[in-house]
Amino acid sequence: MSEAGDEPTDQFTQPDSGGPTVEFYGGRGMSAFPIAFFIVWAIVQTALWRIGDTGGLIVGILVGLIVGMFFARGDWKHYANTIFEGMTQPVAVTAIVAWIWAGMFAQLLQDGGFVGGLVWLADTAGVGAALFPAITFVLAAVFTTGIGTGYGASIAFVGLFFPAGVLLGANPVLLFGAILSGAIFGDNLAPVSDTTIVSAVTQDADIGGVVASRFKYVIIAAVLAFLGYVVAGGAMDGIEVGAQAQEIFLEESDAIGLVHVISMAAVIGTAIAGRHIVEAISWGIVVAVAFNLVFGLAGLGDIVMFNAPQDAPLAGPLESLPILTIVEDPDAVGVGGSLMNGVAGFLELSILVLLIIGAAQIMIRGGAFDVLLEWSIENLATNVRNAELTMVGTAALINAIITINTAAEVAIGPYISKIGERFNLNGYRRANILDGQTAAMGYIFPWSGGVLAGYSAMQQLPDDYSWFEQSMLVTPIDVVPYVFQGWLLVAVFIVAALTGFGREYLIDRESEEVARV
Amino acid sequence: MSIFGKYLTGWTFRANRPSLEVGSEIDVFISETNGSAGRAYIGDTELLVEGAGPETVEKQVRVRVTDFDETTATGEGDLVEVVGESSYSG
Repeated sequence: MSEAGDEPTDQFTQPDSGGPTVEFYGGRGMSAFPIAFFIVWAIVQTALWRIGDTGGLIVGILVGLIVGMFFARGDWKHYANTIFEGMTQPVAVTAIVAWIWAGMFAQLLQDGGFVGGLVWLADTAGVGAALFPAITFVLAAVFTTGIGTGYGASIAFVGLFFPAGVLLGANPVLLFGAILSGAIFGDNLAPVSDTTIVSAVTQDADIGGVVASRFKYVIIAAVLAFLGYVVAGGAMDGIEVGAQAQEIFLEESDAIGLVHVISMAAVIGTAIAGRHIVEAISWGIVVAVAFNLVFGLAGLGDIVMFNAPQDAPLAGPLESLPILTIVEDPDAVGVGGSLMNGVAGFLELSILVLLIIGAAQIMIRGGAFDVLLEWSIENLATNVRNAELTMVGTAALINAIITINTAAEVAIGPYISKIGERFNLNGYRRANILDGQTAAMGYIFPWSGGVLAGYSAMQQLPDDYSWFEQSMLVTPIDVVPYVFQGWLLVAVFIVAALTGFGREYLIDRESEEVARV
Repeated sequence: MSIFGKYLTGWTFRANRPSLEVGSEIDVFISETNGSAGRAYIGDTELLVEGAGPETVEKQVRVRVTDFDETTATGEGDLVEVVGESSYSG
């Protein structure tokens, strides 16, 4: 017990954290310039002018980075090196790998008639346009929970379920929202999801316990989101696909394409067995190629095709190969097929993401990130309820700003633990608050990684289906209100912070040993 | 705890000011110190920890609870030992 005079009051102090490594004219806040410039550019380009061109966004972030450099103090070498530091982070590369692998996988299934199989199944089972988004949400949630990558699932489902749903008359915006919602569900809950792992590790909690303890928040949001998609599916009309085109596609739709359910199961099965996501999707690719060839769904030339010019030295003698075609038109020279087409859509996006992560690193090293978080800790986290609301708010804000949600989560993880430990919230609660916002905000805004990935996949559809017109593409800004799982998950955590629902203190239960990765 | 049990834990509304049991030993993070005594917040419950100096700030310590007032949600306790580090590294 202490004497009254010894009672700690104003003299209480906390250790200082390290300072920024890149200084800016105008203060630490100016280090947010490149990211802020990019977000304004993205809003103007995609929302106000309705140009969904990834190349344009690359120019936007480049201009932001170049102009931002003029505000950096001292040797600009540090500024440049910080961009490299950000671009070489494993999280950025992980996202790119997931996109490219999932892109190839989805394209193989698409070319193997899986969409036709889905349409056949929905038609036969009498699943109408109204129910299609809700069912898509559930299947995307299951698929993502199995494979752990919401980005990969967004790409696969936009390539496969989206055209099937549009053809059946479902509302495209709602359908895209349902796919993103399913991706959020799985990204948040899957034990193999990178965001689940980061949330557990940064909060010193075991992954199994984190998944079990977050189930309550996820499932409440999901039940409401499902009902939302059922109701909205009945209320929102689809777009008119030419009746003749619809009829032709329906006639061509064949149950055999559904064999690729096994290809998807191969991915889920290997991922659940604890294999790396690259290995899991690679198995899916191998199975899909085998099915395409065995069942005659696609030939070898549909999978990889070399289009060589007439004067190529070895082209003539090998022309009989099924993967080689001699083309007369110089513009037709190139490599094509499912694998190439699957990768091609994500090359620009990969460059964009690397640059954004570089700009995010400028913001972190320049101190704008610290300014925001220090201010919120000092001024907002005054009691446990406000502390939890601050954790929800800052995690949501940072994830809304930084395109790749895993990168945002890595950056904000220490702050969440700092605020949470101050009020002795246990690791599970902290990890759940952190990852709820991370998963949700990664799939809502036009510059979010999940939306960009899905939209990139969607832009390939007019080339894949003659009936799919440019006007059927969903402008990313339009989907924002319809990502029900994302908004509801944030809402569930706000209510949980206000009411104490699901709150656990360290004195209630401590997280078990964390499995470090 | 069984896996099923883990899924069912926490479906409750936990108080902002949890009660502490006098005589019990609890592990908490110390958030501040005046040099000789530290303060820990368990939610909005305040626990004054005798003997928790600067070396314990943002560390997890074991505390023996010696006094607790339900109405003000404040308590006092003695430092037993430092048991863990913060997961905050910045």
